[in-house]
Amino acid sequence: MMRFIAPRLRKPVGIALFGTIYAAAWLVHGGNGWLWAIVTEIGVIAFVIAAYVHGGRDSDEDALYGSRVDERQQLIAQRSWALAGKVTMFAAFVGLTIGVATRATWWWSFAVIIAVTGFGYLLGLSNYGVGEEAPADDANDGYQARSPVTH
Amino acid sequence: MRNRVREQRTQRGLSQAEVAAALGVSRQTVISIEGGRYLPSLPLAFAIARFFDMTVDKMFDPDDQEAGT
Repeated sequence: MMRFIAPRLRKPVGIALFGTIYAAAWLVHGGNGWLWAIVTEIGVIAFVIAAYVHGGRDSDEDALYGSRVDERQQLIAQRSWALAGKVTMFAAFVGLTIGVATRATWWWSFAVIIAVTGFGYLLGLSNYGVGEEAPADDANDGYQARSPVTH
Repeated sequence: MRNRVREQRTQRGLSQAEVAAALGVSRQTVISIEGGRYLPSLPLAFAIARFFDMTVDKMFDPDDQEAGT
């Protein structure tokens, strides 16, 4: 769907979409949730404007906001997401350990984060070719190896 | 890995932005390649070499200890 949207608008549209869904969750929450929904939506609008403005500037970070990255900037983004995943995994592990040690009722939420992050990692390994084990396509397959040195 | 991107670019009187536009990459990436902080992919290395009418092994030399030599 994002391919039909101009590159510079992709991040702002994504932020607006997910931010509004989160704001709607506060509305569904009931009570004083409507107040949090308004505060959230104001923050989302500010973030959307900031993302659009940044998307037009000339830097690595702004190229990411503008969805117009080249191969080096894409590599930077991939490394950053990999680091974010490792930090998430470590933080969730610390939370789970503390939760279990203190007999907290919320320990399972950290277990879910670890499970989802681990599943994402395994999905990445599967998608990006680690599982493509194939026999070596050796030119001498089936033949006796010969020394390159002739006697 | 040393390269001759800066040398070739300045010889031709081109700016980093002009080279970046011709190669379809960002100006920051050209700066990183010139500074030796980023090794381009094989397709980009070929594009750079073709742009400067050189071969890849002349443009990127793993044994070259000094840029422009």
